[in-house]
Amino acid sequence: MAGGEGPSPASSLEGFAAEATDAAALREIVEKAFDYRGDVTVTTRDGGCQVGYLFNRNHDVPHPFLQMLPTAGGLPQSILYADVVSIAFTGRDTASGKSYWAWRKRKEAERAGVILPPDSPSASGG
Amino acid sequence: MSVPLSQMWTVSTYVLGQKLRGRKRYPLVLMLEPLFRCNLACAGCGKIQYPAHILKRQLTLEQCLGAVDECGAPMVSIPGGEPLMYPHIGGLVEELVKRKKYIYLCTNAILLKEKLEGGVFTPSKYLSFSVHMDGLREEHDDSVCREGVYDDAVAAIREAVGRGFRVTTNTTVFDGTSPMRMRMFFEQMMDLGVEGMMLSPGYSYSKAPDQEHFLRRQKTQELFSQMLSHPGKRWRFNQSPIFLQFLMGKRDFECTPWGMPAYNIFGWQRPCYLLQEGYTATFQDLMDTTRWEDYGRASGNEKCQDCMVHCGYESTAVDYTFSSWRGFRETVTATLGTP
Repeated sequence: MAGGEGPSPASSLEGFAAEATDAAALREIVEKAFDYRGDVTVTTRDGGCQVGYLFNRNHDVPHPFLQMLPTAGGLPQSILYADVVSIAFTGRDTASGKSYWAWRKRKEAERAGVILPPDSPSASGG
Repeated sequence: MSVPLSQMWTVSTYVLGQKLRGRKRYPLVLMLEPLFRCNLACAGCGKIQYPAHILKRQLTLEQCLGAVDECGAPMVSIPGGEPLMYPHIGGLVEELVKRKKYIYLCTNAILLKEKLEGGVFTPSKYLSFSVHMDGLREEHDDSVCREGVYDDAVAAIREAVGRGFRVTTNTTVFDGTSPMRMRMFFEQMMDLGVEGMMLSPGYSYSKAPDQEHFLRRQKTQELFSQMLSHPGKRWRFNQSPIFLQFLMGKRDFECTPWGMPAYNIFGWQRPCYLLQEGYTATFQDLMDTTRWEDYGRASGNEKCQDCMVHCGYESTAVDYTFSSWRGFRETVTATLGTP
């Protein structure tokens, strides 16, 4: 993977983008996008881009492809790996901050009469 | 013993039929997820962590029935998301009953009373509401991250039982669960008149957001041993007693990931209900193109090492029952005795 920018992917990939410089980089970024719980933007060689949730990929076939459900709605779209230029993690990471312990912390704070700010990580659990 | 004889008969003849045909891999329960939308946001659930446009999507009734026919399993479990939020749930259940499929409608029961009062469902031996209950009031409300849900579920269970519906409970057991309180919970569920209870250990599948709260294998066995040893006389479980013995560490089995295939808006999920490693367009593709040898403990796949979840192992237990006279005898003994 090359061309990374934005926040460290160690926590969340939200805001991250990467170009597919070679086959290994392409496969790596597709796997990350497949695991990501938010929308991504895939830019293709014809200059177009597809925005949506990347729900499937298959690299065990003669022509590897990925599949997305567009944010705007409609049927699944398939894109060949060979056509992918870059992938950006443009949608909100819906799994970020949704932990049991975050919820427990918020509940304990509520019981103690403390109001956590809405943007607190502990206020987003559950 | 809490599974009705007619259901036992259907499952037995189905499994024996598969064996007579020489089918090594066959589905036992279809996990049909019509939608991911839910009216709860439980910390342990990775099913709802999707962008809004994905949560708005749902399978059509035709897609659901197509999957049921394609799969051919005698039992259909309808989880989600919350299936009572699926607008076609009444029609779906009606069609499945016509097909003589045994249905486990897995619900948090928040909407159940309303649906029952609205006449959406008719009691049938084929339909069982499988109400999500993760323990006594405090534990359950903690688990679903909302207070008051336990009381709503209890009220809905009473309503459903009173109207003559089959009602079971499904319980995910997490790390930190008190065996003593869980035994008290079993008594409470029996007081409510449920037909049987289903248990499964929580497992840290990769997309669940709450990784540290799930059980590892040895802990699972210790906890289930403490919970299920010297069981209460009234306790009834709506699952294979051999599977319960497996959870208690009395048996060792290998995973049967194809036993409970899952179908949702993305397609047929590979390889199992918990691991999301890709999707296929058809059930046949799922069965034919999944590298099954890459999954289960024997494969060495690290994701599978601690998993003891029902979707992988209950099918193994059922298959064991019908693979030899010994298996059958042991199951009968366990059914009539204690796990």
